[in-house]
Amino acid sequence: MNEWYFGLALFLLTLPAIGLLLGFDRILTARLQNRVGPPLWQPFFDLAKLFDKEGLLMNKGQVVFALMGLLLQACAMGLLCMGGDLLVTFFLSGAGSFMLVLGAFSALSPFSHLGAHRELLQIVAYEPVFFLAIIAVGWYEGTFMVDSLEGNLIGVLPLVVLALIPVLMIKMQKSPLDLATAHQELVAGPYVEYSGPYLGITKLAHWFELAILLGFISLFYTNDDALWTLMGRLLLIIGLVVLVAVIDNTTARLTRGAVVLTTMTIGIALVGANLIILALYGLGGLA
Amino acid sequence: MISAKWTKRSPWILHFDTGSCNGCDLEIWALLTPRYDVERFGMVNKANPKHADILLITGPVTRKAEERLVNLYNQTPDPKLVIACGDCASNGVPFFDCYNVCGGVDKVIPVDLYVPGCSCRPEAIMDAVVQGIQMWQEKVEREGER
Ligand code: SF4
Repeated sequence: MNEWYFGLALFLLTLPAIGLLLGFDRILTARLQNRVGPPLWQPFFDLAKLFDKEGLLMNKGQVVFALMGLLLQACAMGLLCMGGDLLVTFFLSGAGSFMLVLGAFSALSPFSHLGAHRELLQIVAYEPVFFLAIIAVGWYEGTFMVDSLEGNLIGVLPLVVLALIPVLMIKMQKSPLDLATAHQELVAGPYVEYSGPYLGITKLAHWFELAILLGFISLFYTNDDALWTLMGRLLLIIGLVVLVAVIDNTTARLTRGAVVLTTMTIGIALVGANLIILALYGLGGLA
Repeated sequence: MISAKWTKRSPWILHFDTGSCNGCDLEIWALLTPRYDVERFGMVNKANPKHADILLITGPVTRKAEERLVNLYNQTPDPKLVIACGDCASNGVPFFDCYNVCGGVDKVIPVDLYVPGCSCRPEAIMDAVVQGIQMWQEKVEREGER
């Protein structure tokens, strides 16, 4: 059984991979704006600096919430890497996102509170879509266990992947759906009262959170050849990140209501339509 | 301690206007445009003292802004660096001896670098920031030894 080692290696690779992906995203954004942009390693430099700085705290609860967030996201990611249950991963990660909201509410700053409210709205907008996407995968496969998923899901559930794009945009804090971290109006939203190493902890939690979504999306592509599977999954992720960066640089931020409405209705409609089509053709493990 | 080689590559800035004529502010904003693109050095305008490493201050510090400037300075976690941008911020020059100004940022908080000019050119600010990163790294190292 070398699968155990494989899962562990995957888990250890998560953070470096997400850091590189975010660095790539920043360079891409800069190029789209006709700038040179930062080096590829910039997210790691930022993180190193944050952990080296003095941390100012509003109250001790903030640290607890930040650490809990990181712990929950890391657990969820670990479960995903080890081939565990998708639903448990989803709920753990959701609880982790909620910790950020609690941390933001614990500080007495209007910006922090506004950010927390907006983060809640975002959770309301994307969680149902993400959840339904997982349900759709489970419905088709007849199982929620990652290591027993088989077949090329993107062929049968293409609309689900489409529905996950707005979810990815929210999780990557990208315009037009970046309500909570709207830097022009809210400074940094829920992150505003965190500084130094504590900000670093929330950043790490965010990296894991992103990794869980991207990891889930990558499950949609499988090939008989392991190498092709890896290449295909990487291409899928990078393609989506490029798409999100392009949309980010060509659109303005939506209002709160519009974000919730569009993400939720379009997402649920897409997943629903996909399931109806599958049911009509009598496909799916539980059909 | 994390190597200063890494940490100095990520100076986040906070820009605060203490009552300038907006001339210097425009030049600071010019830094973020494609022409000067300071994100090359990892600089990002964070607009939040708690996330900032380098404070870019403009204006002669009016009496009203004084308290706020001190507040912002105290909220910025160490190690931090203060750059006074423009003649106003350096010694209050066009507003010299005015009844309502403190006459320069260094009357209120410690300043590490002064950028001359009314308004200061973006090139000069960039020069100051690059020098500032050097000073900031030394500060980081000093802080690390402690
Ligand atoms: S130094 Fe000159 S340009 Fe700059 S804020 Fe003062 S008066 Fe305006």
